[in-house]
Amino acid sequence: MNLKKYFIRALHRLQKGPGYTYKELLVWYCDNTNTHGPKRIIKEGPKKKLIWFFLTLLFASLVFWQWGILINTYLSYNVTSSLSIGFKTMKFPAVTVCNANPYKYSEAKPLLKELDRLIDAALERILQPSPGNSSENISPPLDLELWYQIPLVLIDEHDKDNPIILDIFETNQTAAGIQSPTDTPASADTPTPVGNESSCSHPGSDNCTYRNFTSAAQAVTEWYILQSTSILSKVPLQERIRMGYQAEDMILACLYGAEPCNYKNFTQIYHPDHGNCYIFNWGMDEEALNSSNPGAEFGLKLILDISQQDYIPYLSSAAGARLMLHQQKSFPFLKDQGIYAMAGTETSIGVLVDELERMGYPYSDCTMNGSDVPVKNLYSEYNTSYSIQACLRSCFQNDMIEICGCGHYMFPLPQGVNYCNNEDYPGWAYCYSSLRSSIRHRQICIDSCKETCNDTQYKMTISMADWPSEASEDWIFHILSYERDMSTNVTLDRNGIIKLNIYFQEYNYRTISESAATTIVWLLSSLGGQFGFWMGGSVLCLIEFGEIIIDSLWITVINIISWCKGLKQRRAQARYPDAPPTVSELVEAHTNLGFQHEATGTLPRDRDREEALPPEPGTPPPNYDSLRVQPLDVLGPDSDAE
Amino acid sequence: AAMAPGKKITARIKRTLPVRGPQAPTLSELMRWYCLNTNTHGCRRIVVSRGRLRRFLWILLTLSAVGLIIWQCAELLMNYYSASVSVTVQFQKLPFPAVTICNINPYKYSAMKDYLSELDKETKKALETFYGFSEGKSKVRRSVDEWNSSGSDFFQQIPLLKFEDFSKTATDFHSGQKRKIEGSVFHKDSSIVNSGDSNDIIGFQLCDANNSSECALYTFSSGVNAIQEWYKLHYMNIMAQIPLETKEKLSYSADDLLLTCFFDGLSCDKRHFTRFHHPLHGNCYTFNSGENGTVLSTSTGGSEYGLQVVLYIDEADYNPFLVTSTGAKIIVHDQNEYPFIEDIGTEIETAAATSIGMHFTRSRKLSKPYSDCTETGADIPVENLYNKSYSLQICLHSCFQKAMVDSCGCAQYAQPLPAGAEYCNYKKNPNWMYCYYKLHEKFVKEQLGCQQICKDACSFKEWALTTSIAQWPSAVSEDWMLRVLSWDKGQKINKKLNKTDLANLMVFYKDLNERFISENPANTLVILLSNFGGQLGLWMSCSVVCVIEIIEVFFIDSLSIVMRRQWQKAKKWWNNRQQERPGKPPQSGDLERQGHDNPVCIDEDLPTFNTALRLPLPQESPLPRTPPPNYSTLRLETAFTEQLPDTLELGQH
Repeated sequence: MNLKKYFIRALHRLQKGPGYTYKELLVWYCDNTNTHGPKRIIKEGPKKKLIWFFLTLLFASLVFWQWGILINTYLSYNVTSSLSIGFKTMKFPAVTVCNANPYKYSEAKPLLKELDRLIDAALERILQPSPGNSSENISPPLDLELWYQIPLVLIDEHDKDNPIILDIFETNQTAAGIQSPTDTPASADTPTPVGNESSCSHPGSDNCTYRNFTSAAQAVTEWYILQSTSILSKVPLQERIRMGYQAEDMILACLYGAEPCNYKNFTQIYHPDHGNCYIFNWGMDEEALNSSNPGAEFGLKLILDISQQDYIPYLSSAAGARLMLHQQKSFPFLKDQGIYAMAGTETSIGVLVDELERMGYPYSDCTMNGSDVPVKNLYSEYNTSYSIQACLRSCFQNDMIEICGCGHYMFPLPQGVNYCNNEDYPGWAYCYSSLRSSIRHRQICIDSCKETCNDTQYKMTISMADWPSEASEDWIFHILSYERDMSTNVTLDRNGIIKLNIYFQEYNYRTISESAATTIVWLLSSLGGQFGFWMGGSVLCLIEFGEIIIDSLWITVINIISWCKGLKQRRAQARYPDAPPTVSELVEAHTNLGFQHEATGTLPRDRDREEALPPEPGTPPPNYDSLRVQPLDVLGPDSDAE
Repeated sequence: AAMAPGKKITARIKRTLPVRGPQAPTLSELMRWYCLNTNTHGCRRIVVSRGRLRRFLWILLTLSAVGLIIWQCAELLMNYYSASVSVTVQFQKLPFPAVTICNINPYKYSAMKDYLSELDKETKKALETFYGFSEGKSKVRRSVDEWNSSGSDFFQQIPLLKFEDFSKTATDFHSGQKRKIEGSVFHKDSSIVNSGDSNDIIGFQLCDANNSSECALYTFSSGVNAIQEWYKLHYMNIMAQIPLETKEKLSYSADDLLLTCFFDGLSCDKRHFTRFHHPLHGNCYTFNSGENGTVLSTSTGGSEYGLQVVLYIDEADYNPFLVTSTGAKIIVHDQNEYPFIEDIGTEIETAAATSIGMHFTRSRKLSKPYSDCTETGADIPVENLYNKSYSLQICLHSCFQKAMVDSCGCAQYAQPLPAGAEYCNYKKNPNWMYCYYKLHEKFVKEQLGCQQICKDACSFKEWALTTSIAQWPSAVSEDWMLRVLSWDKGQKINKKLNKTDLANLMVFYKDLNERFISENPANTLVILLSNFGGQLGLWMSCSVVCVIEIIEVFFIDSLSIVMRRQWQKAKKWWNNRQQERPGKPPQSGDLERQGHDNPVCIDEDLPTFNTALRLPLPQESPLPRTPPPNYSTLRLETAFTEQLPDTLELGQH
């Protein structure tokens, strides 16, 4: 009971509003508020009043509309970009150099011997279709097992609907209809025989596809890659590294700025496409090198030997070094971003670091370190950072393992899975080629991988010159051969030697960095600006408005209560026409002079009317707040009683 | 008597909404009223402050605040049309661009023999006369007798000349005669200034056919340039006379040019290429031209998934004078763009594998009023002669061609034909070359106005290319590669290919990141208004309401006060005149009262709040009595006792 009283009293205190009716309240508000419009409404004549009323309404709705726009703008999380260009001391990029050819032919020959003989014989057959005069009777019999897994065929498309498929080593012609090729040759108007490669999901099964090529050269290369992949995947990694080019053979000279360096400064990494690759300044174990000067004199100078004579003839037809500039601690994806350097030339590469720094979620959809990407990063075994290429390849490999049961030779393996080869997984080639051409799988991978927020590209300005010059050729070859092989014989030639200069350009960075276009401060100042512009308002005005709403709520409550009370009283009066005053009323009447136990609502108006009577402002009755509180006190005991 | 209903209503309106004048009878009072009642912060201080210095200070401060507001708002307005740049990177499946490949040599030399034999003879003769070059001597000798045939007079009209010195005499290689050269000298090579050895200078002279004294002289420091330019001039004349179908036949077919093709891991052939005839490069072939409505796209980056072609460059069949380099030219462009291969093509070396990594960037500028660019080119008054989407290059070329047709009467060979025009050749337009060179000179010096008319396009796509070269085929694979490629081609020609006849080209996306650089309006109207509001609020706590107030008080009310004054003065003057003449007694008291009390205000209405406020004016009549508690609350109360019935009435109706 006590608590209730306190509560009610507290409520009464709170309720002490500036008026008793809505009108009073509103007028008071209009006169005292700090927003600019309302004051005009009550201060002006009736015509202007109307105008001002509508103007205020219009401005208020404008404010709310524009606030809506501003909040929407804020929630769209726009960004602005700022660009800066110049030169600063920067980390020299990591430089990966590889040979275009993955293994030395002299080392890999025992493994590839059968395959090479097979392709030689096949080429012989293709180029000289008349059988009999070929020299196959002299050579030992071919290992046709490799052949039967994935044969090369000729497709004669003179007859569009019924192409004749001709196995190169067999004389009998099989019609295409029997093998039900899923990929029917599309070249309709080429009447020429087309070099083809067919792969079946199981030997002898009917589920076959023909990959058709318009050029025999392409077909032979693709076929050879497929076959050699299968053979080499069985070879253990150590052995493969041994077959590749060794750092001391490949990197003949190295100079970074004024400091000499040698092959030991390079980190070896095994790359499935290019065999042994060597990375300069990878930053894995040691600090990354800085370069604080532009120009070729302060860059990296390399002399490489690619020993073109030792290339595997059918595997790679282009000769040169493959190199790539990339960030420290990132995996070099040479097939994507790598460039060639031609033998017998000096290639100068001016570098401009093009950086894009983006803000993460919710501003743009990118990932900081790849931890929130649902694809397992297989390249983490190299301790390299996340990149979208790594993600896409991991995604493909994961799909491959899921569907074909084995991993592709070109990509890293997760735990407990083997690389595909023809013996253990005879249908892998079919499985792989169908997966590779599946648009759906590619799209899934594209959708699940996210780009990194900090995207760094190395823009290269490449120029080339012949090197060494004819005059200097002799002594350069002599010295380099001597240094490498400790012999006075010249073991190098123009076809193998490459000079590289990699250096920063005069402007070595171009950084585009993002910043939020709309911050919370921006939002608040814009909201304030809008409110101020149309109505001259501030947050305090909003609070004022809230206060008025509370007051009007109170008035509503009071009105309801008094109405209820009036109803009760009327009922009571109906029973007892002359109701005796209650004790509390008597008490009130005693303590409060202004007290009347009639309807409470009439009271203020009566008082106003009395006040309005004297036309001249003499000493008016003290119209203090304490007086106004009257009805409250009247109400107090009543609500108590209820 | 009962009033008409219309009148009743107007009377009612008059009663409830009476017309009133300004709040104060005089200007100073109006100002005072304004300053006391306005919502802006400075004014009130001016009125309320005591002391002249303070008042002055406040006036100064208020004025400077007004000045600052105006300055800052003007600044905001001026910076309204500024753009902010945003760069977004999207990783997605990218559309593969169109790749146009041309042989550097436009037409098979063997097929062109019929058309060019005379020109070649002429060239060789010139070489022999000037430089003693005699490789083709036997041929020239043999053809001397048939030499004076039909076309040769044109060659004679514009012969190569050797200049003895700057004394304007030159040797014609035909006759060996010396002749006087008149006309202005145009130097094609700027190095002429340095070459004191005048014996080296050769060039040619172009004269206006109608007026032979009008001549332009083109000189070159090197005979190589001179002969090539001269050859090109005549070559264009000859080519302009050959119809397009014949030219297409004379040039390389798709089978001639393309040996192998491989895209995205799948084999492709000549059906994936669209022929496109370029006036200077002959038949070019566009891969993925989007002609049949489908544009190929790549979903994997890397060299294996791009376009790989082996091109057959038949070096033996090259025109020795027209082109001096061997290889192919390629250009990567959008399907809707015209390939300006002569301007921005990349050259491809033979006996090498050229790997071109692409990086895709899309840019978008804001058009007017942010910057002066055009969205579609429709607002440029130059007709687009190319059947492709607008670009600055297209506009410049079209503009030049139009000027050419207008002033020379025929169209230049390297650009497409406008409707109704035909290509220049000296059979029909003997004057065109002089005209062309004059016009070109003007064009380069920006006198034709083309550079002013043409605007750059608002959005463009760019493929940044990283080109690198490797030896191809490698020493060990050369043998089988050439054999197989010869077999591939073997159905047509029975000869073994040479590796210098081949070029390997790879075009691929380095990564599938698309950079999109776009300009966005830095300001919207909402933000501008917010900034205005911020400025107004910061300096004066003002808002639009204040602005309306200012307009009301300073313009409408003040004006009406001034007008009233004038009216009363005029009335007084009139009355005085009237008085002078008939001698009526002046009603000065009446007038004064009117002047003071605003006659418009005096009506039969009940005193409203406004009139009530003005009536007592306690400051003016300081009666000695207990000062009334003149609180604003009080005033309010009175205000709304008066107004209550009004508003109530309004509410009820």
